[in-house]
Amino acid sequence: MRAPTARPAQDPGPAEGPPPRPAPSPGARPAPGPRAAARLRLAARLRLAALLGPPLLWLTLAYLGSLAVLLVSAFWTTDSFTSDVVRTWTTDNLHELLTTPVYRTIALRTVSIAIAVTLIDAVLALPMAFFMARVAGRRWRRPLLVAVLTPLWAGYLVKAYAWRVMLGHDGVLNRTLAPLGLHGPGYGTTAVVVVLAYLWLPYMILPVYAALERIPERTLEASADLGAGPWRTLRSIVLPAARPALLAGSVFTFSLSLGDYLTVQIVGGKTQLIGNVIASQVTLDLPMAAALSAVPVVLIVCYLAAVRRAGALDSL
Amino acid sequence: MTEAAVRLVSVTKDFGAVRAVDGVDLSLAGGEFFSLLGPSGSGKTTLLRLVAGFERPTTGRVELSGREVTALPPHRRDVRTVFQDYALFPHMSVEQNVAYALMVRGVRKAERLARAREALATVRLDGFGPRRPAELSGGQRQRVALARALVDRPAVLLLDEPLGALDLSLRRRMQTELKELQRTTGITFLLVTHDQEEALTMSDRVAVVSDGRIEQIGPPVEVYERPATAFVAGFMGTTNLLRGAAARRVVGRPGTFSIRPERIRLADLAEPPAEGERTVTGRVADIVHAGAHTRFTIALPHDDRLTVIRQNLAGLPPSVRPDAEIRLLWDHDDAFPLPS
Amino acid sequence: MRKTSAGRSAAAACALLLAVTACGSDDGDRAAKAPEKLGKGEGKVNIIAWAGYAEDGSNDPDADWVHPFEKKTGCRVDTKVAGTSDEMVSLMKTGQYDTVSASGDATLRLIASGDAAPVNTELVPHYKDIFPGLKMRPFNSKDGRMYGIPHGRGANLLMYRTDKVSAAPDSWRAVFEDADAHSGHVTAYDSPIYIADAALYLMKTKPSLGIKDPYALDRGQLDAAVALLKKQHRAIGEYWSDYQKEITAFRSGDSVIGTTWQVIANLAQADKAPVKAVMPKEGATGWSDTWMVSTKAAHPNCAYKWLDWIVSPKVNAQVAEYFGEAPANAKACAETADPRHCAVYHADDESYYRRVHFWTTPIKQCLDGRENTTCTDYAQWTRAWTEIKG
Repeated sequence: MRAPTARPAQDPGPAEGPPPRPAPSPGARPAPGPRAAARLRLAARLRLAALLGPPLLWLTLAYLGSLAVLLVSAFWTTDSFTSDVVRTWTTDNLHELLTTPVYRTIALRTVSIAIAVTLIDAVLALPMAFFMARVAGRRWRRPLLVAVLTPLWAGYLVKAYAWRVMLGHDGVLNRTLAPLGLHGPGYGTTAVVVVLAYLWLPYMILPVYAALERIPERTLEASADLGAGPWRTLRSIVLPAARPALLAGSVFTFSLSLGDYLTVQIVGGKTQLIGNVIASQVTLDLPMAAALSAVPVVLIVCYLAAVRRAGALDSL
Repeated sequence: MTEAAVRLVSVTKDFGAVRAVDGVDLSLAGGEFFSLLGPSGSGKTTLLRLVAGFERPTTGRVELSGREVTALPPHRRDVRTVFQDYALFPHMSVEQNVAYALMVRGVRKAERLARAREALATVRLDGFGPRRPAELSGGQRQRVALARALVDRPAVLLLDEPLGALDLSLRRRMQTELKELQRTTGITFLLVTHDQEEALTMSDRVAVVSDGRIEQIGPPVEVYERPATAFVAGFMGTTNLLRGAAARRVVGRPGTFSIRPERIRLADLAEPPAEGERTVTGRVADIVHAGAHTRFTIALPHDDRLTVIRQNLAGLPPSVRPDAEIRLLWDHDDAFPLPS
Repeated sequence: MRKTSAGRSAAAACALLLAVTACGSDDGDRAAKAPEKLGKGEGKVNIIAWAGYAEDGSNDPDADWVHPFEKKTGCRVDTKVAGTSDEMVSLMKTGQYDTVSASGDATLRLIASGDAAPVNTELVPHYKDIFPGLKMRPFNSKDGRMYGIPHGRGANLLMYRTDKVSAAPDSWRAVFEDADAHSGHVTAYDSPIYIADAALYLMKTKPSLGIKDPYALDRGQLDAAVALLKKQHRAIGEYWSDYQKEITAFRSGDSVIGTTWQVIANLAQADKAPVKAVMPKEGATGWSDTWMVSTKAAHPNCAYKWLDWIVSPKVNAQVAEYFGEAPANAKACAETADPRHCAVYHADDESYYRRVHFWTTPIKQCLDGRENTTCTDYAQWTRAWTEIKG
């Protein structure tokens, strides 16, 4: 005879609230006296200070310090012949920066390129990240992720020069397009946008991939269950979930594009961006270069503020 | 009776080498509250997902209201699902969650908001519309999920362990509410649960699922009282299962038998059995007081054991004490024969 | 060689930043004196040089004139390679270097800022063999004193693809008025100093502007040059400052006509690119490099030893051949591996170099001798250049 079968154990399910914390048992360990406790706290604080002190000092002095020096030197001037920095307080540099039309043109061009690069990367990263995170089998995710990251291992200049060769007059692109009666963009603004978009794409894919991977499968099923087709689900569920990540990624693509001046030298043809003007001024007229570099700094701070309002920095 | 609201015909579903659903035929009448009951891994959730369209059957057919939907994606089926973890959209307010199905169908904003509020009212969540799901308790989220699924009156509502994450008292209350909701809306409910009590209290009919097959379909009382298989008998509440030599010794007949513990009467050794009653004697091995009832374990000769449950209403014979020899009595009919 | 190295200029910028903020400029005696006689070597010398000017065999095992120098003099050489004249100026300002191979657009700035000291040519025995055309020039002397030892010179030539440019050009007109014929494939040197190329062309073609010296432009003359360059800008494919980039652009056909150096033309031809470089009839701009000694030199004796070494016939021939320019020492022509080297680079052809206007820094005081006019200085040229590129 068999023992009576009991009801199967009820699966307890997740509890509503956090489990009650075990009450501290008084008397389990003698409580340290107030003086000993103070000593312990002091020791802990000292340890913490020793741990955080050097990096904080480094951050303040080397990073913020140099930024401050940069901004201050924007108010100095140079001897135009010897390039010596003359430390007299003047707003001439800022005045020139704001009143010379060519600086406005260059700043506008730089921002437009940064925006274009960011948009292209967002448009490319979304389907790629979506495929990696939601469509490809689990087995394929890691290889795909590695494939996306691989270009980051190659040197920046190597990649830019590779694009220079590809986009060249007798490069792969033109030779491929020639039978179709087309030709590539050549060197110029378009090439800069293309190459920058290529260079910074991983910085967009990674956060978007992480965000999309975090969307529970159930959420997508729920959307389909409620009558939403794939496109509606993409628009109403996936995109909103990816939005903070897209914004976070755009912080990278935007600020990296804004500061770039090497790619434009290599494939930009005759295009010049803020970075080029700064680079050409930096040895000659440091205060002017400092004033010029305030432009991307201000732009990025504005962008970060805008993005912060959208809540994207929480996921950085 | 009208055509079936949900019909599965010879449905099989394989995941790689594993057969999750094995030749299931199932038919739900319109307005029925139907439960799929089974242990975890029995394939009941897969069955529900086949109906919802999240899975395609390997072979067989799925029909909704007489229309074949086997190849249709979920968004083309007139069914709604309440997920075990609710799957609310975290970036939307409660109102937007509930109105989602209406928005997808292009209902005007004013109307869909009104209907979302109405749906929230039916689950007693008036005024919760502007909140985010993260600000709600588990029970409240559960109701939002319900309101979201019911807002545009689907033909069939699928519930996947909807109460599994709630504590006991809340679960009891929600059971009543769900049943009430089903009655007032007239929507066909297909509930998946591993909790036999939940299935018994709410359903019009129950299907007990094991290893991807349906063991038995019927009204709860019938499935409980007349289990078709030993598995069903064991799964539907506590039972005393007797087979082989033990059956001959205790029931007095060859075969496999189920005797529900509450059907067995405890008596003094001296009490004679009535007409049509079977009796054995044994020793009281254990007494467990469980609130409304008490559970006794009685040791019989040859190491046989029987469980007896008595409501704590009437008094017990004075001889029922630990280690006392007592008499057990039951109707012949209460030893329910099962296919071996 | 003269490629703009971003990393290096950034590093230089940081160094400069630290220098200006931490040290500050000490306004000591700016009229530094040249030494009367040399003492013993200090065992060390710190050099700023164009790439290719101080080779120790690490780039090309056959190009090594640093180790023989170290062996001979006991002065250990520490070389800092600079990418641009501007970078050289800023590095010299740190005071940590003894000598620099400055081009004409850096020399006067270094003299004026007091960073470069006059050189006692008596202490450099090989100075006597330097081509006379390189001695006492405005870009390497002041008040009748030499501020360095000439190293070598070259001209900015006009290079074109023989297969793409049908009629062999003999005028800079090909990259100015006629640039549209090759729109999108014209190239020009990416530096404010290139404004002088336009000024030189205007000097020959628009006498009414009254340009006497392409480096002495008043406001109106600069505006005319800028206008010409803005027009050219429309036809430009890309500007170059990196000689490798220039070679690939001509080889691929992205550039078909524009300014070049002789060394670039040679390398491109060695790469089988169908290019030719010519000196147009208007003449050309060019460079003449000078080894200067820092006023703050910690190792002046070794610096003088280096100056004499680098212009000694054999070494000067090696450098000139490696870099692709005309040597400064007349006797070097007998030492070159390619006996035609001096002929190819017109080393002893003073008439050739009379047509070459060597780079020099434009300053407010007109270099052409005008006294009632203020000329535009390099800072204005720099701004103009930014504006030309738009």
